[in-house]
Amino acid sequence: MSQAWLPLATLATSLLVVPVIFSLPEGAWRVRTALNLGAALLKVLLVAMMVWGLYQGQSYQFSFTIVRGVNFLFQVDALGLMFAGLSSLLWLATTVYAIGYLEDSPNRKRFFGFFSLCVASTVGIALAGNLFTFLLFYELLTLSTYPLVVHRGHAKALDAGTTYLRYTLTGGLVLLFGVVALHVMVGDVTFGEREMLADLGPDAHGLLTVLFLIMLLGLGVKAALVPLHGWLPRAMVAPAPVSALLHAVAVVKAGAFGIVRLVYDVYGIGLTYQLGLLTLLAVIATVTILYGSVRALAQQELKPRLAFSTISQVSYIVLGISLFGPFGTVAGLVHLMHQGLMKVTLFYCAGNYAEELGIHRIDELNGAGRRMPLTSIAFTVGALGMIGLPPVAGFISKWYLGMGAVQANMQWAIVVLVASSLLNAAYFLPVLYRLWFLRGPSHGVGEWPDERHLGRLETSGWLIWPAMATALFSLMAGLLAGVPFSPLDLATFVTAEEYTP
Amino acid sequence: MMASLLLGLTLLWPLLLMLRNPLWLVMEHGALQRPGPRPMLLDAWWVTAPVPALLLTLWPGEVQLQMQGWLLGAQWQLDDTRRPWLLFSAMLWALAGLYARGYLVTEQQAAESGDGDAFRRLLGFAMLWPLTLVGNLLLILAEDIPSFYLGFALMTFAAYGLVVHAGNRDAHLGGRAYLIMAVLGEGMILGGLLWAAGTVQVLTLTELRAGLATAEQGAWMATLLWLGFGVKAGVIGLHVWLPLAHPVAPTPASAVLSGVMIKAGLIGWLNTLPLGADGLETLGAVVIVLGLAAALGAAGYGVSQRHPKAVLAYSSVSQMGMITALVGAGMAAPVLWPALLVAVTLFAVHHGLTKGALFLGVGISEHPPRLPAWLLWVLLALPALSLAGVMTSGLATKWAFKELLYEGGYATLVAWLSVAAVGTTLLMFRALWRQWQERGVYSIPIASSMPLAWLACVVAAVSVPLWIPLAGEHPNWPPLDEWPGLLWPASLGLVLAGLVALVTLRANRSWQFAKRLMPGDLWWGYLRLVRQALAWLHGLGLALEQRGSRWRSRLLEWESRATALASGLTRFERTFRRLAVPLMVGVAVLLLMGFWLG
Repeated sequence: MSQAWLPLATLATSLLVVPVIFSLPEGAWRVRTALNLGAALLKVLLVAMMVWGLYQGQSYQFSFTIVRGVNFLFQVDALGLMFAGLSSLLWLATTVYAIGYLEDSPNRKRFFGFFSLCVASTVGIALAGNLFTFLLFYELLTLSTYPLVVHRGHAKALDAGTTYLRYTLTGGLVLLFGVVALHVMVGDVTFGEREMLADLGPDAHGLLTVLFLIMLLGLGVKAALVPLHGWLPRAMVAPAPVSALLHAVAVVKAGAFGIVRLVYDVYGIGLTYQLGLLTLLAVIATVTILYGSVRALAQQELKPRLAFSTISQVSYIVLGISLFGPFGTVAGLVHLMHQGLMKVTLFYCAGNYAEELGIHRIDELNGAGRRMPLTSIAFTVGALGMIGLPPVAGFISKWYLGMGAVQANMQWAIVVLVASSLLNAAYFLPVLYRLWFLRGPSHGVGEWPDERHLGRLETSGWLIWPAMATALFSLMAGLLAGVPFSPLDLATFVTAEEYTP
Repeated sequence: MMASLLLGLTLLWPLLLMLRNPLWLVMEHGALQRPGPRPMLLDAWWVTAPVPALLLTLWPGEVQLQMQGWLLGAQWQLDDTRRPWLLFSAMLWALAGLYARGYLVTEQQAAESGDGDAFRRLLGFAMLWPLTLVGNLLLILAEDIPSFYLGFALMTFAAYGLVVHAGNRDAHLGGRAYLIMAVLGEGMILGGLLWAAGTVQVLTLTELRAGLATAEQGAWMATLLWLGFGVKAGVIGLHVWLPLAHPVAPTPASAVLSGVMIKAGLIGWLNTLPLGADGLETLGAVVIVLGLAAALGAAGYGVSQRHPKAVLAYSSVSQMGMITALVGAGMAAPVLWPALLVAVTLFAVHHGLTKGALFLGVGISEHPPRLPAWLLWVLLALPALSLAGVMTSGLATKWAFKELLYEGGYATLVAWLSVAAVGTTLLMFRALWRQWQERGVYSIPIASSMPLAWLACVVAAVSVPLWIPLAGEHPNWPPLDEWPGLLWPASLGLVLAGLVALVTLRANRSWQFAKRLMPGDLWWGYLRLVRQALAWLHGLGLALEQRGSRWRSRLLEWESRATALASGLTRFERTFRRLAVPLMVGVAVLLLMGFWLG
């Protein structure tokens, strides 16, 4: 029970900011910015402290009983910390980005308030120590994201918001049902106590399988598994920072993270394997990966293409989990981080193009590399990473997925990987081609749809630096994968914990 | 320690040279928008990019560099098998770089005098050239699989920018063919590497080869890897990008593409396939046949080409086909392999430099230096004759493998290779003929970088057997009584070429059918197939989309029906209110009755 304050403080950094932001007047730009950035920095620091402590072998726990048998539990394990680290890092980057992006737009107070709430929920999800706490923050995330999705307030945004709520609330309801049923069976489900369900014996296997499927259905909505993915491409109407966060760490990742928790910490990988559910997961992941890629190929606009790409990429995580063996686990977990870094970069860049040049369609990107070189470099790094080319982080994920596929004796998964890489190349390389090799408005051919000069550099510094930073991180995470505290190192650390009894 | 540093510098130096220009741009922000002079992009420093690599090859003994943190643990090394590859690659890169300074001088001048467009195009060239070089060097030096794959991918994708440098329609077409085939190849390589490395659980290439030799499905993994690297090496059927991309690139880039980078596929084979081990006999037979098919087919198709660089590109396919056949012989007869490896290395180095010299020569014949015409054309013909196997390094190379194959009982293969040599002679004749017809007027001084680089390349190419470090082995010159057997293909080729030329001149008409044979041969067929497949897929996608939307609308309909039901509940409200009084009365009556009865 040492240092229970640390996880709580981490949550509080973003949670306590919320009422303060809401109480500030709309015009208090400086105070709000300072507050947001300060809190984000503080959180990165706190998470870094916890990572350090965890490597030293310390444990952090905080709990109180709500009603008898139902505990609120915060418990810091390596897996949760990985997610918390990703969330805090990207929160910082996205806050900077959002400040630049929303300059001079109305309702910034509301935006940043819910933004902080959204991040607070992801931290809660990351640090939750039992299924109940997880569910609590999972639902909070659903609700706090809604105002962000509909932020623009026009009919299309409201429509997307409704679709979003329709999907996620239904999913949440299904998940709730599964959680309650599990609660009835074994009481409070603390993460990491895997023998709890395994001890039930073979009689319970049928019921456990059904419950697993129910919870998977609930979590699969947020993780955008096909065919539950319908809300994600439509949620694209949200402002760029929201999409970035939504795709990289908040909603979609929360679903994927939930599936990771479900497999490793609730059922335990051994039991899941016994129940034959891993094969099912692998099949679902395969379908999602291929379907997402094919759909992405058909998109003419940048953000929807990225959205379908997310659907496909997030399922790499699920595929990794479904490959029984340490390599598969490493692959799934490391991709949880890598995909976040790369996708957030891509969305920042898409936002930059839209803000600076008014570009939404892919065919308007001709020659944009000349007008906005830094943004385009960042985009290139992200796109190459998505394809899985070294030295960007995506390659490391793919490598471990391949190793895991062989280890799990599912060689066919390599075919899926290669096919998906080719499809990724097919929908990202044309974009890069347009950016760098075609002549466009900056060569005197045609005009940008809506050019603005937002800053001294190619666009506002608030918009460029986050993109550059996350691109650099994506590059570093791959290039220096063998360095301590790299995502790969963390994932290996987590995996060692999962597979040693 | 010093040596390891030098190895690191080998890769770092070109990178630094690459980053120099963007750093300048960042420091002088807005410099691009300002009119006025620009810095020289292809300056003397830029040419020095491969110099550390050259120095490294001179370092005696093995050199190693290990870095735990790099990717999954880097292990780069220079040993006796890698040395000839590194040496000739660095050499050709250096010479081509020097040549590029002269070749792009007009663009350079335009850029310096303030033409923004030219400046940016040249900037791309100046940056991508060293980057491609880094990839090439890394793939030679890497011993761990991820670094090797990194080098390969880096080289492949950075070279795209070199291919499309000209920016015209042909360049983009060539670039597209290059990129599509390269991506397909990368996919197969990735699949093969993952499958193989996952099965044998290793991270280094040496262990991978050893593991593949004994792995259960090793032959299939080897096939996949062979195909993947075969895209780069121009295996027939996968070679279609070569004649499209090599001619459109700027001449120095064509030289390194056709001389060095095409060898990356071969290096990939040597690095990953369990050559010299049993188990690949079937694949070996197929490889021999495919190699010979490429050697002969490309020669046959290549002579119909008009552009000298396209002819040379087909010659590259043909020569790589011969090397492929030799590799196939090594697979089919593992005992031959250690000796064959030496012959293959010699062949690759000979072809690399000679083809480099030939490509550089195309630029020279377009902008001839001030030399007597006979001397110029003798020098231009020298590497061509060498490639045909008439003299110098070509003769030594031919003898090296011929001797071996005869001893191994592969007389038929030798006969076919000789036929292919006839084809090579025809191709060389055709290339020189076209160069002669498209020759330029005298313009540049002999002491400028372009002719000097070309001359150095010619000298290096014809003297390959004298300096190539082949790990103790030394290439032999053939004994005099073997010369007729080695020279007849070239002589036959010359006679044939002479006859055809005579007939053409006499008849004074061009061959109509040959004009229809576009460079890229099978590419156009592939294109049609893919278009059909895409159209079919598009239809499928539409159908699926329709079904999806039908489902969604049905769900929505259900939902609206449910909401309608829910809002209909208010009707009951009124009924309830009306019923309230009777209900109360009823309950009261019931209670009273209860009391009364109780």
